[in-house]
Amino acid sequence: MANAKPSAIAAAIHTPLAVQALTLAGVVAIWEFIGRSGLLFPELFPSLSEILQSLWVYVSTPVMIPHLKASLFEVGGAILVAALSGIPLGILWGSKKSWLEIVEPLILYAAVVPKIVIFPVFILFLGIDVYSKLAVGAIAAFFPISLLTIAGMREVKKVYVDVARTIGATPLQIAKNVYLPAIAGQVFTGIRIGLGAAVTGALLAETKIAKAGLGFMIVEYYGQFRIADMYSLLLFIFILASLANWAMKSLFGVLSPVSRKGGDAGMYF
Amino acid sequence: MTESTRLTAWRLGIIFGALLVVEASVRSGWISTFFLAAPTRAVVVLWEQLLHGKALHLTLITLYEIAACLVIATIFGVLAGFFLWRYKLIGTSYEMPLAALFSSPIILAYPIFLVTFGRTSAAVIALSSIFGLIPIIMNTKGAFQNVNPILLQVGASMNLSRKQLFRHILVPAVAPTIFSGFRLALTYILKSVLGLEYVAQVGGVGMWLADASYKFEVEEVYAGLFGTIALSIMFLYLINRSESWFRK
Repeated sequence: MANAKPSAIAAAIHTPLAVQALTLAGVVAIWEFIGRSGLLFPELFPSLSEILQSLWVYVSTPVMIPHLKASLFEVGGAILVAALSGIPLGILWGSKKSWLEIVEPLILYAAVVPKIVIFPVFILFLGIDVYSKLAVGAIAAFFPISLLTIAGMREVKKVYVDVARTIGATPLQIAKNVYLPAIAGQVFTGIRIGLGAAVTGALLAETKIAKAGLGFMIVEYYGQFRIADMYSLLLFIFILASLANWAMKSLFGVLSPVSRKGGDAGMYF
Repeated sequence: MTESTRLTAWRLGIIFGALLVVEASVRSGWISTFFLAAPTRAVVVLWEQLLHGKALHLTLITLYEIAACLVIATIFGVLAGFFLWRYKLIGTSYEMPLAALFSSPIILAYPIFLVTFGRTSAAVIALSSIFGLIPIIMNTKGAFQNVNPILLQVGASMNLSRKQLFRHILVPAVAPTIFSGFRLALTYILKSVLGLEYVAQVGGVGMWLADASYKFEVEEVYAGLFGTIALSIMFLYLINRSESWFRK
């Protein structure tokens, strides 16, 4: 009986969740200790309470609203532009093997180029307002969306299309009942990955030149050496990005006609 | 004409066709040189910079940063991946947080690295190594996890020692998957190094692009962009070639 309790505790600790919780607690404790004691780079490691206090200011006051609005406009616009261009082009390229053979290597090579380096060109054309960041986000999101649409088109077995034709389905019916269910999963995955790419692209561009936005705030705080504020803002962005990713995953899980796994196009983004 | 030559001719036709349209648009004055440089001018500027300017030196800095990231990511990534495979509970526990960290926009944390390491290549190397580290860790762990047990049983039946088993069976079995992680890591490192150099204005080719952009030197901006794109494409090409060579 006396051994039962310790073994139950040991079993509880020997689970991935417990290890994750213990790791998190350990990191928090070490960070707080360093922050409060000032042992290591006191300017670089503000205490966790200081960071959380700063985070509370963001969520409880309107200080961040204009910046959040600017970033949301850029990211939302970017994903819209990327989806409206990437999905039709992906369908077009994926619909003919000969086109795909020509275009796919070009897209794969272009996808590897860091999109932020095209930002100076967008500044020249669109200025330093929100639209140049929107463009960087859009081009970053375009590649995962178009490549995964192509991957979806590749999954459509010719025999399904032939069968649909044999039973007299119209092109519209084939598109609706054969192509759409086949590519929907991949397209949704592409949009979800594209969202991450758009967030990174747009916010990174904001850190370069901007008038407003969360990325702009990060660099402002860095310039003013307000490190606790900078950490809390980064924490806020990570939480927001995770929530958006989770929301998209849940939404697409409900919308997707067939449950599918996304293709391995991750290396390009 | 072989199929492969025909496809290459089409691809080159698309690229040069697009460049020709841009060239004609700029030279005819349809698009102002204030926004767009003629591709031929950008290539000339890039060539001049490579021969007489700072482009070669900056390219070497970028290559040094990429190489340093790759060495750090490979050493620590393979060791960590092996450790996570050996200790299953820790491996399972950290798999999800690592994937979450990888998909989060950690590049936005670059000011922290600038504060810690200063405005030097060290900051670029430190942050970019993280991008290379995670795919190598995941692939190493996955590689060891997926070794066919029959191979190990064959080794054991031949009375191989643990050392021999590791050297002659485990290592060849895991190498291709680890190499895939290495390839993935190199792609991410390349993107991160060039992106950070541009954003933080430190280091090599990316910094050149940022400088030109600040000075509104349009031809130099496009020359830098061409250089960056050429470097990225060259890397991907070499990675693809080395992978197919490695798999042989």
